[in-house]
Amino acid sequence: MKMLALATAAALAVVSFSAEAHGPTRRKISESVEINAPADKVWAVVGNFQDMSWLPPVEKTEGTGGNEAKATRTLTLKGGATVVEELSKYSADKKSYSYRIDKVDVKTLPVNDYSSTIEVEDAGGKSKVTWKGAFYRGYMNNDPPPELNDENSEKAVRGLYRTGLDALKAKVEKGS
Amino acid sequence: MPRLARAGGRLRAGLSGLALLAALFATLFDPLPAGAAEAVVTVQGANAVEILDLDAGTVAARIPVPGSPAGIALSPDRRIAYVTRPDGPGLAILDLDARRVTGTLPLPGGPLGIACNPRSGAVYVADWYGKRLFVLVPKEGTLVPDGEIAVGASPSGIAVTPDGATLLVANREADTVSVIDAASRRETKAIPVGKHPFGITLDPDGKRAYTANVLSDDVSVIDLAEGREIGRVKTGERPYVVALARGRGFVTDQYTASVTVFDLASLERLAAIDVGDHPEGIAASRDGTRLYVANWGANTVSVIDSGTLSVTKEIAVGDGPRAFGDFLR
Repeated sequence: MKMLALATAAALAVVSFSAEAHGPTRRKISESVEINAPADKVWAVVGNFQDMSWLPPVEKTEGTGGNEAKATRTLTLKGGATVVEELSKYSADKKSYSYRIDKVDVKTLPVNDYSSTIEVEDAGGKSKVTWKGAFYRGYMNNDPPPELNDENSEKAVRGLYRTGLDALKAKVEKGS
Repeated sequence: MPRLARAGGRLRAGLSGLALLAALFATLFDPLPAGAAEAVVTVQGANAVEILDLDAGTVAARIPVPGSPAGIALSPDRRIAYVTRPDGPGLAILDLDARRVTGTLPLPGGPLGIACNPRSGAVYVADWYGKRLFVLVPKEGTLVPDGEIAVGASPSGIAVTPDGATLLVANREADTVSVIDAASRRETKAIPVGKHPFGITLDPDGKRAYTANVLSDDVSVIDLAEGREIGRVKTGERPYVVALARGRGFVTDQYTASVTVFDLASLERLAAIDVGDHPEGIAASRDGTRLYVANWGANTVSVIDSGTLSVTKEIAVGDGPRAFGDFLR
């Protein structure tokens, strides 16, 4: 199953036919989840750039460079699509890392120039995980097809983050 | 042709020939306004322009500006702001003392980068979907379209020399800087630079220019007399624009959420200062002691001490501050 299909199956059923007579501006999405576990324990799961197994659509993660800036990883999704990503900034102290997507088909995730940060904060013994992204819609010029417009690009990313964070919470709280 | 739509629908009574003459003299001899230092920040997601009181560190006013405002230029007397609206598309004219929009002007294409000629007051707007600048000239308290200038593909940042005679345009897709003769409106040279130059900054005496090259993660240093790139400085990831203060360059690095600092003489990289998420516009205070950074992702403006190279303050602003251009007064 592709990421887009997973994230926007519902969104695509509601298609807007109004033409957008202007070009893209960068969008931002931020989603968070509270997890009933210490921040160290959550970071132990999400803090390895080379292991995205906590994100349901990901079948395998292959990469080089560990957790150093400029490390790369290729995510292979269930169904075969791939996403190539590069690490921009990593701080174990701040329990935060930032990365960008170098290569993805807009049919997999309808975005361009995508960058993202995942961060784990202490919340009084529990944790708060925030996943945020900045990106342009899937179609970079005027008059995008509906599936690549601002609204559906935002829905796809929000859906991805929601899926990931909820799965992470379930995984950590179950103790697996 | 683009047509001017006046927000208030009425001509301002105060603008007589005398006032225009006075404005012209102010342009020529006294470019700085009195009063507290202010930042004029386009907050794109909030569809507004915010005026920050930089001494108090607060948002003093918010002026609604629909159309995802992004780029900004100030009139020579620093009393008017011209703001591009990529989702208009067009631009808005703001009276900064009265804190209101006095007019809007539709433009074709993708208006983003903008600059104002410090001598003539002409406004140049880059069409980042095209290969042209729109020229608009001040007339009776507003702007009227006055032709186009051909430049390289996807023009982004624009800078004008202090004598008003030369424009420099960063052409993002062409990987060049266009040198334009302002009088004849012709490109006299295209200087190759790094990959995808976005912001362009001139030093105060108009001798060197600096482009932030988004895809090659570096800054190109251009000597204008020689008409060529004379050096390159490595930055953080996806640099946006450069500011200059006290012999140093300060570059916003969007993806690494930092400001790279380098020495303007040796071009040596000195430091990387952590700021908020996705920093974009940056500018130095008049005395060069502080820099102000609009953090698009974090919804803050970071204040940097140019001596200690540390962040001394974070000012909370509206959603998506960009401030691409000349935004301090």
